[in-house]
Amino acid sequence: MDNKRVVVTGLGIISPNSGIGKDSFSEAIFNGISGIKPISLFDTSAFKVHTAAEIQDFRAQEILGPQGLRVLDRSARLLCSATLLALQDAGVEIKEDNSRNIGLVAGNTLGSLKSICDFDKVAIKDGPQYVNPSLFPNTVINAQVSHACIRLNIKGFNATISTGFSASLDAINYALNFIKLGRKNIILAGGVEELCMETFLGFHKIGLLAGLKKGSVELSCPFDKRRNGIILGEGSCVLMLEDLESALERNAHIYAEIKGYGTCFEAYHPGQHNSSAAGLKEAMQSALKKAKIKPQEIDYICSGANSTVNLDAMEAKCIKEVFADSFNSLQVSSLKSMIGESFSASGALQVAAAVLAIERQMIPPTINYEEKDESCDLSYVTQARACRVNNAMVNAFGLGSGNSSLIISKFFN
Amino acid sequence: MQDIESEVRNLIAEVLEKDPAEIKADMRLVEDLGMDSLKALEVLVAVEKKYKITIPEEKLPALNTLDATVAIAKEFLAKKENNLSQP
Repeated sequence: MDNKRVVVTGLGIISPNSGIGKDSFSEAIFNGISGIKPISLFDTSAFKVHTAAEIQDFRAQEILGPQGLRVLDRSARLLCSATLLALQDAGVEIKEDNSRNIGLVAGNTLGSLKSICDFDKVAIKDGPQYVNPSLFPNTVINAQVSHACIRLNIKGFNATISTGFSASLDAINYALNFIKLGRKNIILAGGVEELCMETFLGFHKIGLLAGLKKGSVELSCPFDKRRNGIILGEGSCVLMLEDLESALERNAHIYAEIKGYGTCFEAYHPGQHNSSAAGLKEAMQSALKKAKIKPQEIDYICSGANSTVNLDAMEAKCIKEVFADSFNSLQVSSLKSMIGESFSASGALQVAAAVLAIERQMIPPTINYEEKDESCDLSYVTQARACRVNNAMVNAFGLGSGNSSLIISKFFN
Repeated sequence: MQDIESEVRNLIAEVLEKDPAEIKADMRLVEDLGMDSLKALEVLVAVEKKYKITIPEEKLPALNTLDATVAIAKEFLAKKENNLSQP
């Protein structure tokens, strides 16, 4: 199973700091452009915080055409668009003769929440008789991936991975296994989440958002002493993963190779992390082992830190323990300083950033890092930095015990 | 009554993502205009909601043209008005 090599041959990205496409994303992340702004999607006057990483210039009809969008919710539109962008970037056109050989798997956890609420609101306000049957499909968790497959004629398989913060890394692993088992040559894998009032309300109510506490800053500043919670985000990112032989055969551009994945679910607590950080540490070590890469060979960590007090400190602690002999020379940065926390989409966006870091041999910065915190005493990249990036690690983890880690390497044939 | 025909045409056009002018009174919704079963249900619910009437789902196959849909809407609207006028 491990003989097959899996490479990245396409990137489809819609991100709050760059809008549409991988080129604008690349420009934005290496220039430290923030996508965090006052929210325009819904009224925030009843809330204590008012900003999020919202994609403000997203018009799906410009990517997908106008037909059939009426019954797609925002997250379905985001995923359909990112999937099409990945296919176009990879130069793959889906036709009848290849449609059964291509699959789509995406991480998604909260994406149907607004559709569920909207559907139920009509039932409560007007009566159950008057709910729109065409909007019911959006209320199920696999709606986004199914919509994308139907719209783009992807018949190989469709799957939704709903494991929260680590969902899109877990989706990439699902794709890796399919390709390594020889069941498919090409799989589109990624994640999606939409920003909506319902999700914002939930995170606001459980006290996870930055700026809720008196005197705290409403800012995404991972690892910084001022950090006090997340800035919620949204986005979609789909990578085309391909068996190396297939990629070489069609002379595809190869961005990077996926080398290893590790995961650990700690079954600890629904709303807390284990301060021993054993789960993330195990995920990171397992990914290194799978990739057959020594810790000192990792050049860059695209961190999952999201500006929460405990989780950022947990990752810093893990990095120090796993990279005991080499953490001083490691380059570490967190994309979430620019794009907020988009939950099941974050991991895929981080993977795209790591792939571009390898492609450009440059590290994207952690913006907003100003005040050092002793519990996160690593050296962070705060301005884009040109350097060797042969191997990168991406971490995804969160409250609720899930931890995943992925290793991406420069492609050498 | 002309208003009902115009309103139902607009509802059908919205569901089918077509210009209302494209929906001719006797065109077959499935064969000529691409209606599917989910969209047909959507039209039924939209008509019910618009006129606050209840059309039994057994009537769904009969909603096969604009003319037929308007006739059914009028039939159940008349029943509703009749019920309201009963002492």
